[in-house]
Amino acid sequence: MHIPDGFLDPWVAGLFWVGSGVAIGLAVRRARDALGDERTPLLGVVAAGIFAAQMLNWPIPGGTSAHFVGGAFAGILLGPSLGVLAMTAVVTIQALVFGDGGIIALGGNLFAMAVVDVLVGYAAFRALRGVHETGAAFVAGWGAITVSALAVGVGVGLSSAFAYELGVTVPIMVAGHALLGLIEGAITAAVYGFLANARPDLVLGRFESDSPSPEVGL
Amino acid sequence: MNALVSDAWGRRALLALLVLVVLAPVFGWASGAVGYAEPLENAAEATGATDAADPIAPGLLPDYAVPGLAGPLGTLASAAVGTALTLAVALGAGRLLER
Repeated sequence: MHIPDGFLDPWVAGLFWVGSGVAIGLAVRRARDALGDERTPLLGVVAAGIFAAQMLNWPIPGGTSAHFVGGAFAGILLGPSLGVLAMTAVVTIQALVFGDGGIIALGGNLFAMAVVDVLVGYAAFRALRGVHETGAAFVAGWGAITVSALAVGVGVGLSSAFAYELGVTVPIMVAGHALLGLIEGAITAAVYGFLANARPDLVLGRFESDSPSPEVGL
Repeated sequence: MNALVSDAWGRRALLALLVLVVLAPVFGWASGAVGYAEPLENAAEATGATDAADPIAPGLLPDYAVPGLAGPLGTLASAAVGTALTLAVALGAGRLLER
């Protein structure tokens, strides 16, 4: 999922930077109200946990592997604003420290994993949680990563390195991640189910409004 | 950070992070054993884009490896450094944004 430098045409990379910049800016403004002595440690732990979980590549026979991305999970657990911030920390550190994803392409990687994955996952969870909560977490994890893959597929498909072959890049990205996304959905649902059971007060995305719940402690 | 260490759930969360870090080299070995390709790499191969990848900055610990440390140890060290750094950055950013 991480786009290296050299894959995106400059205007595509630029548009991705604008999109992620606007979304992260809004998240920063809205996060000011959400953060506090109880909420800030949760932001740190979720971001660190997602970084560590992304290092676990689940081997899949047949020569592929997938790792948990976690944007939808962050959105469900932290709400959209803090979710975007947590994933921004993860994706930026991956690029700057570990060379995982490019520097010019960082805007694209932030857009896919820190914006689209978080917001689509959060929206899907909120839309479906009335039907079945754990099921909604599964669909959110699976659906959001698939939409993120679509964004990456379109971005590279509009770029010269990929010969503008949108008709090739989009199906490969969407079909590939729709399949791998089943793991994403399963992990999202499993961890969500555990936390919602053990510490329901921590699951901020469950609340009707984004205003902080009165009593949240880690 | 104090809020994490002084609270039972905070300590549990830190322990969970430690477990994930220790698992990283195991998963790294397993995925290496089946060969590692993501859909984006497949799309690059299908359109001839693979060679276009041109890292501007490889990072301090490129590919989650530490120069001089053998594969699994480098992965373990990278996981530990990256997880601790992410915790520190996210906590620090959160504290800065608090009002």
